[in-house]
Amino acid sequence: MNVIRRVTVNAAPGRGLTPFALYARSRGIPATVAALVCAALLTLWVAGRPDAYLDPYRRMPLISLAPLLTSSAIGVSLHTYTRDLDDTAVRPWWPRRLAHLLVLAALAAALSALAVPGLSQEFGAAAMVRNTLGAVGITAAAAVLLGARLSWMPTTLYFSAVYLSGASSRVSNATVLAWSLQPGPQRGAWAVGLGLFVLGTALCAARGVRPEGPRA
Amino acid sequence: MNVRIQPDGDGPGGTHAPAGGGRRTSRRTGPDDTPPSDRQLQGGHPTAARIHQPGAGRQQTTRRPDPPAPGPRPRSAPHPLRVESLRGFAPWAGAGLLLALAWVLAASSAQWQGSWGTTTMKLSTAAGIIGAPFALAAGAWQGGRECRLRMTELRASTVRTPLVQLLTAALPLACWLAAAYLTATAGALLACAPYASAGGPMPLVHAGTALSLAACAVLGHTAGRVAPFRLTAPVLAVCGYVVAGITTNHRSDLRYLTFAPVGFLGDAKLAVWWYPALSAAWVVGLAAAAVLAQAAYRRAGALLPLAVALVAAVLLVRTGDGLLRDNPLIHRQVCDDSTTPRVCVNATHPGLLPEVTHALSDLTGRLKGVQNLPVRFEDAGRSPRQDEAQLPILTPFGWNAVRGKVTDPERYAWEAVQALVRQDCGELPSERIQVTDEAVLRWLAPDSVSEGIREEYVAQARQHGDTEELARFRAQDEAYAHLTAMTDGERRTWLSGYFATATQCDPKPSEVPSL
Repeated sequence: MNVIRRVTVNAAPGRGLTPFALYARSRGIPATVAALVCAALLTLWVAGRPDAYLDPYRRMPLISLAPLLTSSAIGVSLHTYTRDLDDTAVRPWWPRRLAHLLVLAALAAALSALAVPGLSQEFGAAAMVRNTLGAVGITAAAAVLLGARLSWMPTTLYFSAVYLSGASSRVSNATVLAWSLQPGPQRGAWAVGLGLFVLGTALCAARGVRPEGPRA
Repeated sequence: MNVRIQPDGDGPGGTHAPAGGGRRTSRRTGPDDTPPSDRQLQGGHPTAARIHQPGAGRQQTTRRPDPPAPGPRPRSAPHPLRVESLRGFAPWAGAGLLLALAWVLAASSAQWQGSWGTTTMKLSTAAGIIGAPFALAAGAWQGGRECRLRMTELRASTVRTPLVQLLTAALPLACWLAAAYLTATAGALLACAPYASAGGPMPLVHAGTALSLAACAVLGHTAGRVAPFRLTAPVLAVCGYVVAGITTNHRSDLRYLTFAPVGFLGDAKLAVWWYPALSAAWVVGLAAAAVLAQAAYRRAGALLPLAVALVAAVLLVRTGDGLLRDNPLIHRQVCDDSTTPRVCVNATHPGLLPEVTHALSDLTGRLKGVQNLPVRFEDAGRSPRQDEAQLPILTPFGWNAVRGKVTDPERYAWEAVQALVRQDCGELPSERIQVTDEAVLRWLAPDSVSEGIREEYVAQARQHGDTEELARFRAQDEAYAHLTAMTDGERRTWLSGYFATATQCDPKPSEVPSL
């Protein structure tokens, strides 16, 4: 009996791990961090090319694409396979969800910003931070509405539509509507980006992601 | 994939019918991403339904199934393609793509309404930058569905072949995305038609683009099945953006391998009729090869569409710029001969001629009877000849011309008169000639913006006590007052003498009449 008990205990998954490590593993945080690092390295490689370094406007696609990738990685990391079990927990989940989003968003923004060399105010680090935070906000809100694993869809469509409509002067001059296309310090663009981040994060922390079905 | 399950109810529970055939008495009521089996099966395998359904086994052992009660004959089950088309992810993906395309088209409507070529270019660019990456990602999401819902074994147990199952799951999404693009296209063409006056829509290009988008969705579907990870879809979307960006901006002929054809068309170029077909064959061939390699009984069959795709790709790259031909209208112009100088606009937008003539009517009215003027304002897509002046640009639309109207006629006339007097001269002529030129330009095309700027400069010169600048402005005012005070006949004679040297960059001062 003792033998059986010892074997069972030893084989229990996650034995010896702290609650933090268990949470990180259950949400795929290591893979998410790896994705963030990969995105930052790719950004560094593209932004370091001579044409993008000399002409800040060539970094415009980059400050849309990198946040898209990082926010997608953060969005899918919100997925949980045990939503029903989580809901039975005694402790509230919102501080963990909030911390989850804040830590990953800060990490993504810092890594992406460090990956963009040159002037920070001309499609540089400032725009990268703003767009990353805004994209995380949209993705978090989408995770509440659509589910974590599909949360990339609205962000993808929104960023690509705004990017393409930026050719119109009516749109590119609108700091609020085309906030993700502004070169850097425009206050309206920052207000929208931060507002989306706060709104999306708060919504996700308060409500949690949409359950994706009993077997999903 | 659609799997039909008969409810266990009173009968022997959990019997499952193959996709695409038989009858069923239950309707799918699961969430969007959940196929019918998801609600009704509690396990991954069909037999699990019998095992886990409470009471089903007991009923089976305690009493015989009731004979079917007489009544209305049950409705035949809808075709799986119909179910897949109307339920689940596909309609939402189509709606999302339509919304994004509509946003882009609405935001830039001033740039394409009135030009079939620009409308086609805008739609193709939108399809390449938004549509193709999204189709890849949406396809990957759909392709990963069975793994996500842990239905792989259940799918494998059905009687339909893997190829049919894959196509049943993939084609509805592909059709929805193509339909979304075609709907946006129809709306854009309808919005363009009232303002367009030459050329026509290019249905083959749009059909080719729609086909390419559908193929991208199928291609993404196969990728999603092979790599059913959470990040597969967004990574595929980003890869699609990168490929679209590289192929669109590439200077070599590799740019013709972009997933949506003709991202660089306008009024100046037309696609040869087989270009959209070839471009679609490239993407469709790739998608077909991926599908057959993954799901066909004889996987070697994938070599045929792969060969078609490669041949299409080689033809696209080797033909290069030969895929586009010059628009015959671009080198022609339509003219209004009743004015002096004559006003001509390009034959790609002849409907703008009355509007341009009206915008320049004050200028041409003041030049009536004056000699030594250019013969015409030309807009033939080339440099003006010796006896011609360049008409201020009308294209690309969105600046001087929007929806068949000249946006600021006063400013347009001011730009036109600049083309009459020493245009493109590197060095300024002597001070006296500059003063004369300024007075003539001011009289021919009075412009409130220029007047405002001039008054601001005068005020600044007064503020700084710049006597030299003030003297220059005073001389211009006197020259302008002199020109205004002339009778019509005197002015015509004087202007005829003035325009004899108005295009020379370095005229002899004695040949330029003074004011």
